Amino acid sequence: MIAAARSRSSRLAARRRRAGILLSLPAVALVVALLGVPIGQAVYYSMTIWNGITATWVGPSAYASTFTDPIFWRVLENNALLLLAVPFAIGIPLVIAALLNEHVRGWRFFRSVYFLPTAISWVVIGMFALRFFSATGVLNQVLAHFGLGPSATDMLAGETSALAALAITFVWSMIGTNTMIFLTGMATLDPTLIEAARVDGLSRWQIFFRVQLPLLTRFVQFAFVITVISAFSALFSLIFVMTGGGPGFGTTTLEFFVYQTGFQQVQFGTGALYGIILFVIMALVGLVQLRLIRPSDGEGW
Amino acid sequence: MAAHPGRRPLGPRLRRHVWAWALFAIMIVIAVVMLYPFWYMADNAFRSPGQFDRQSGHSLAGWSELFANLPVASQMLNSTLVCAAAIAIILVVSTSSGFAFAKLRFRGSGTVFLLVVSALMVPLQSIIIPEYVNLAKLGLTNSYAGAVLVYAALGTPFATFLMATYYRGISDELIEAAIIDGLGYERTFLRIALPLSLPAIATVTVLQFIQIWDDLLVGLLFLPPGQRTITAGLATLSAGRTTSIPALMAGSLISAVPAIVVYLIFQRHLVKGLTLGMGR
Amino acid sequence: MAAATAAAALLAAGCGSGGSGPASGPVTITIWHNYGTEQNATALNNLAKAFHALHPGITVKVVSQDASNYFAQLQAAAISRNGPDLAVMWTGLFTLQYKSFLTNLKGEIPAADLARIDPTALKWTSDGFNAANGPYVIPLEDQFYIGFYNKADFAKAGVTSVPADWSQLFAACAKLRKAGFTPIVYGNGGQPLGATFYPWYDMSYMMIGAYSVKQWQGLYSGQIPWTSPAIRAQLSTWARLHSSGCTNPDVVTNTNNLGQFESGKAAMMIDGTWDTQKFTSALGGKVAAFVPPFSPTPIKGVVDFAGDGIAQMSYSQHPRQDAMFLEFMTTPEAARIINAAGLIPAIVGTSTSNPVNQQMLDFVSQDHMIPYPMLDNVVQGNVVNTGSKFLPSVLGGRVSVQAALSAMQTTLQQLPASQRGNTFP
Repeated sequence: MIAAARSRSSRLAARRRRAGILLSLPAVALVVALLGVPIGQAVYYSMTIWNGITATWVGPSAYASTFTDPIFWRVLENNALLLLAVPFAIGIPLVIAALLNEHVRGWRFFRSVYFLPTAISWVVIGMFALRFFSATGVLNQVLAHFGLGPSATDMLAGETSALAALAITFVWSMIGTNTMIFLTGMATLDPTLIEAARVDGLSRWQIFFRVQLPLLTRFVQFAFVITVISAFSALFSLIFVMTGGGPGFGTTTLEFFVYQTGFQQVQFGTGALYGIILFVIMALVGLVQLRLIRPSDGEGW
Repeated sequence: MAAHPGRRPLGPRLRRHVWAWALFAIMIVIAVVMLYPFWYMADNAFRSPGQFDRQSGHSLAGWSELFANLPVASQMLNSTLVCAAAIAIILVVSTSSGFAFAKLRFRGSGTVFLLVVSALMVPLQSIIIPEYVNLAKLGLTNSYAGAVLVYAALGTPFATFLMATYYRGISDELIEAAIIDGLGYERTFLRIALPLSLPAIATVTVLQFIQIWDDLLVGLLFLPPGQRTITAGLATLSAGRTTSIPALMAGSLISAVPAIVVYLIFQRHLVKGLTLGMGR
Repeated sequence: MAAATAAAALLAAGCGSGGSGPASGPVTITIWHNYGTEQNATALNNLAKAFHALHPGITVKVVSQDASNYFAQLQAAAISRNGPDLAVMWTGLFTLQYKSFLTNLKGEIPAADLARIDPTALKWTSDGFNAANGPYVIPLEDQFYIGFYNKADFAKAGVTSVPADWSQLFAACAKLRKAGFTPIVYGNGGQPLGATFYPWYDMSYMMIGAYSVKQWQGLYSGQIPWTSPAIRAQLSTWARLHSSGCTNPDVVTNTNNLGQFESGKAAMMIDGTWDTQKFTSALGGKVAAFVPPFSPTPIKGVVDFAGDGIAQMSYSQHPRQDAMFLEFMTTPEAARIINAAGLIPAIVGTSTSNPVNQQMLDFVSQDHMIPYPMLDNVVQGNVVNTGSKFLPSVLGGRVSVQAALSAMQTTLQQLPASQRGNTFP
């Protein structure tokens, strides 16, 4: 009997494994064929001078000369600085989602309104930002209106301030997506838990921080990943229109560098090299955050 | 809470009212901040280039220039077709694999899942040229096929991650019950798990739709000019040295409409899914 | 090297000669361009129509491509060999960078036709920049980097002669400022869809003021480093334009420079022939051209360069029809079409109907200004990109001249030796 029970459970396990493999196979095949293979090729071509037709082998020294290029490190610095904007790109939507979750009158309308800007193309956002931050733009007009005239800025003219302007625009653009993710997450929370907490006398903020937030860890993790990915690989149109990577190298992120070498200068090999480095960096950041933000049910991925 | 005899019961209610109105005011301020660029785009779509330079006056010159230079309707159709096809593939492969990775743990599934999700980190610019060379050799760059496959592959890691996240939240007991009922794992996925994941499916659809619709590089390289998307078409409006910005704004405005429509459609499903709740 | 290129071209022509038998059925040839929607696009479309009227059996399909990814797309099309038959190609180093899939037109097009093109223009599209090697590109138009000024503003401020060197320029600026005008306006309007003004118009003129045309080769090879004293001096004087109030304060971020010049608030602007028609429509007889006097001694060169044209793809299946279209581009009728679109034809002996454009041609033919190429077409692309990032901020006073030039020099030195040889490739 014990033998029969064991064989039944092992048969179940076998069926479970077979179903698991069957159901996950299409996704894996698609990703391997269309993402994995080109990455492997990119690794090869990164060590060549390549224009798509002829590849001249250079070897690993291509990486060595990149790591001794001071401009490369300047560019990486920009990526690191841009990371500082990520907590804002997550925190602000969290707060907004919490506010929306209070179901104030018209909250559904506001929810849609906050998401609408996600539909605007980066080119339009960049052109608007260009005029917003200019010396005669909306930002300075608002400052003057509130009597802060003397602190008028020309943010896009300075290296650091341009990066700050870029970061602000980036945070703004992530609000729609991340708010939606957190709202979806908050909807999965068992409302009885929150009721119980309220009955226990916890204030709204306490409920938010001690009850809701820990349960949302999975979603925060997810939002963090896509925010970092956005910051590192989705901004080149914005940068192109808003600052052109300048002033100096002030807003040239590694992704923009890849774009410039690979597309503007049509040096596919060098572009692939920077692209591989970008991929490795993003993978590292992803791994690190998986370790740092652990879901509350104790099981990591 | 002990009642204080001398206290009027309006205190907490007034506080709640003030809080509600304050919240409302904050929401309005946020709405203005979020919508201002939208208004800028719409405002400038109705100008001529001269009026744009002067920032005064309105006309339909931008629109006539847009339609004179771009086959707007056909490009919008191309965008829609490409999006629909790619999202269909994404949903099929990501719901099934998300369920597998979340509930049907098999040996090595953790590693495979990590690999699939790490593909999320692959920056498009670094793989697009090898990808192009590969697909050109296979003859897939003369039709929609190449672009659709690339978009599907690009969206799968994200969608799988989201679906798996969502499926983790489904209680194991629910699955066990279905198995005990003799349903089998595949059918459990189809009949039990899939219907429960509509909010996540809606989220994936909306986000991927915007991602694919607004993508430039893949559309530019992988689609022949006759099958070009509207985003690629708008890019051709910006020339080397002169650009009619009102035409660009007008085109961007039209281009933004489908994404908004998709969101509004799926928003209701989001609500439905949310009120249905989980595991009830 | 010329022999190898000629052999390769013959080979390519031979490979593509499958369709070059007797012109039996109707043929469609495709041209790609990155001209957007403005004058050049109009000219190209009209050329296509006129050509079709002359040769009803050949249809020319004109396809507009995105400007910022144009060359990558062209390269990608060359990889998969399903690109256009003809394509717009920029001249100078761009041509040489992509010549592996361009057909050398020597022998493809009768020498008599080639002779109708301005020989200076053809030179810059040939190997080693020597026209005898055969051009790869038939230029569409002649372009100028040039200054525009408002005659009425000058008169009101009491500026009686057009400045011809740095000191005269500063003097004129002082007078214009006193009269309430912005002397020279900078901004990102009238530029490629981008964030700052394109500094290479100014840079070209600064290098004209410092070096002869032949010496520009040293900028390419590194024999004249970007950090040379002469270049540093020119840039310092240029930066003084901003610090002394000769320009608007927000040179890097101004989005409305075109509007300010067209309304007359600004007296001068450094721009190019693509905006001539815009200015003549807005300002009529008030606008005129001048040579930016960025030189300690009277400036004696002007940027007169055919920046782009049409090239034939080596993998085209219709080389005969392609050649016929390119020949058509050298005819007087083509010149008429190009001129009607507001451009200056690059064909010898033609004139232009826009008076301000004609002024520019007169600088060369009557005032004997030496024609220089566009500096950004004869300097490596990486260096141009670095310069585009730093130079606007030099004028804006945020980045030092030394820092900007060092960055450009560093970029130059990071390039492999094959890309900074002693001769142009």
